[in-house]
Amino acid sequence: MTFPIESLVGEFREFGLFVGALIGFGFGFVLERSGFGRAPKLAAQFYLYDMTVFKVMFGAIVTAMLGTVAAAGIGLVDLTALAQGAVSGTFVWPMLFGGLMLGAGFIISGYCPGTSLVGSASGNIDAMFTIAGVAVGSVLFGEVYPLVEGFHLSGEQGQIFLYQLFGIPPAVVAIGVTLMAVGGFIGAEKVEKIMTKRITVAATVVDEELRSRPSSRRWAFGIYGAVGVVTIVTLFFPVAKQAEAGARVATPITAADLARDVIDAPWSVRIIDIRDNALCATERVTGAECVPAAQLEQLGLAFSTGARKLVIVNDGSATPIPAAANAYPGELRVLEGGHAAWHAYALVAPEPPDPAATSEVRDANLFRAAVHSALTGVAAPPPVAAGPVGAFVPKKKKGGGCN
Amino acid sequence: MQVQQEQRFWNPYIGGVALGLVLLTSFLVMGQGLGASGAVYRYGVAALHAVAPAHVEANGYMSTIFANGASPFDDFYIFMAIGVFLGGVVSSYAAGRMRIGVGKGPRIQVPLRLTLAFSGGILMGFAARLTRGCTSGQALSGGAMLSVGSWIFMLSVFAGGYALAYFVRRQWT
Repeated sequence: MTFPIESLVGEFREFGLFVGALIGFGFGFVLERSGFGRAPKLAAQFYLYDMTVFKVMFGAIVTAMLGTVAAAGIGLVDLTALAQGAVSGTFVWPMLFGGLMLGAGFIISGYCPGTSLVGSASGNIDAMFTIAGVAVGSVLFGEVYPLVEGFHLSGEQGQIFLYQLFGIPPAVVAIGVTLMAVGGFIGAEKVEKIMTKRITVAATVVDEELRSRPSSRRWAFGIYGAVGVVTIVTLFFPVAKQAEAGARVATPITAADLARDVIDAPWSVRIIDIRDNALCATERVTGAECVPAAQLEQLGLAFSTGARKLVIVNDGSATPIPAAANAYPGELRVLEGGHAAWHAYALVAPEPPDPAATSEVRDANLFRAAVHSALTGVAAPPPVAAGPVGAFVPKKKKGGGCN
Repeated sequence: MQVQQEQRFWNPYIGGVALGLVLLTSFLVMGQGLGASGAVYRYGVAALHAVAPAHVEANGYMSTIFANGASPFDDFYIFMAIGVFLGGVVSSYAAGRMRIGVGKGPRIQVPLRLTLAFSGGILMGFAARLTRGCTSGQALSGGAMLSVGSWIFMLSVFAGGYALAYFVRRQWT
């Protein structure tokens, strides 16, 4: 099984949106339960007498980080593909300056954008004012975008991750971050003890009782420890992922299904014709790139996001899919019957169907006739043979500049 | 005091693990992290679009969310934000914490507190666009993915908060 579940952003997108709302529900619920719906509790982080923000945030980062690294270690998910899909690129200067600005906004308003939603949900009028402010501020950014565009794009490093920066395996970085966080937790407990003795504040929501119940804390540390051990163990079988990829069999796709993709959703599919250049240049599937099998390695398919469906077109013989294509992280299909099947389906005018045929057959024939006329045209020359446009354009790796 | 009727907040370490599991679920199932500011931005642009559609469509940055006739609300993070709100409603209600009020320290008047809440929001809204995500999308999600930019952002947020805390202390203490 491979995560993330791609169909939730593709064909079952609506269900994916519903899942998004469910995840959001969990997000909001946990934030509220942790006390993040109240500005004084959040702001207390910056006066050191209640470090809940730090503890919850780093607890969450450590949990999710160890979880993803461990999942990648056992081949459940491709860490690089996941990270590239889920995270924006690094732009040093706007992130540095914008972070300071957001931190200032945090202590002035008492919320961050996410917690202002939860604060409003629990009835806090100040949080509603903060949401309105966030809306105004972000629209303001859009209004002055031409002025800040240069800065917005400055210090671009591409998508770069700490393990690339340090050149060590992700699991090692994960263990390091975990140790740092645990050190931070111990420090936070000490700081809180010192500060609560010093400050007597009427409106603070410091929960003294929690500190007298260390058992649940030990329980949470136990979880970090257990997942940490799993993460370390995964270091010793880092090849699980590749073994799985090598054993993978590309599912065939019929010419009719491919035609539907090409006509209805050309952005969802990437087609690579691995036949000889001469053959491909003469006639190819609409939108296909001509990349002979020997040169497939240069495309770096293993490092692409896998967001699009990859369809390999060959000469129809039963030759195995090249390893370079097999390493593609996303959905991989091979055109059934090779290019000849496409030619026969899309570039040869269909016979009118038997009037007695079922409606499915007649619909299929109608679609095929539409594909044929769309691709061959009447006046226009065949677009598929219109020269080398679109050929030999190896897609640049999204990350860029980092390795 | 009313406080006695409320449930206690979760232990922060339990909260942290729970939040991490929500984030992990989002990563594994959807391939996306958590986010909040993007949805509020979309609501803001949609509101402006309702008043001045031509103005928004002429703006190179904001018009992108209407590209190809798309609805500004047809977005994963809009649905997530609705979920966040509902989660907050259910949790605070069930814990006896849902109460109309203004969160503030004892030394500040309500109008000033609300003005500051709004002003801080403006700063954060602007900043979150600049940094391509807020504390949820960058610090939390990007941080867990070990993105270098997210860690720069996270450290900056704490630095900015601590640097200014002294000057707004009357609001909280």
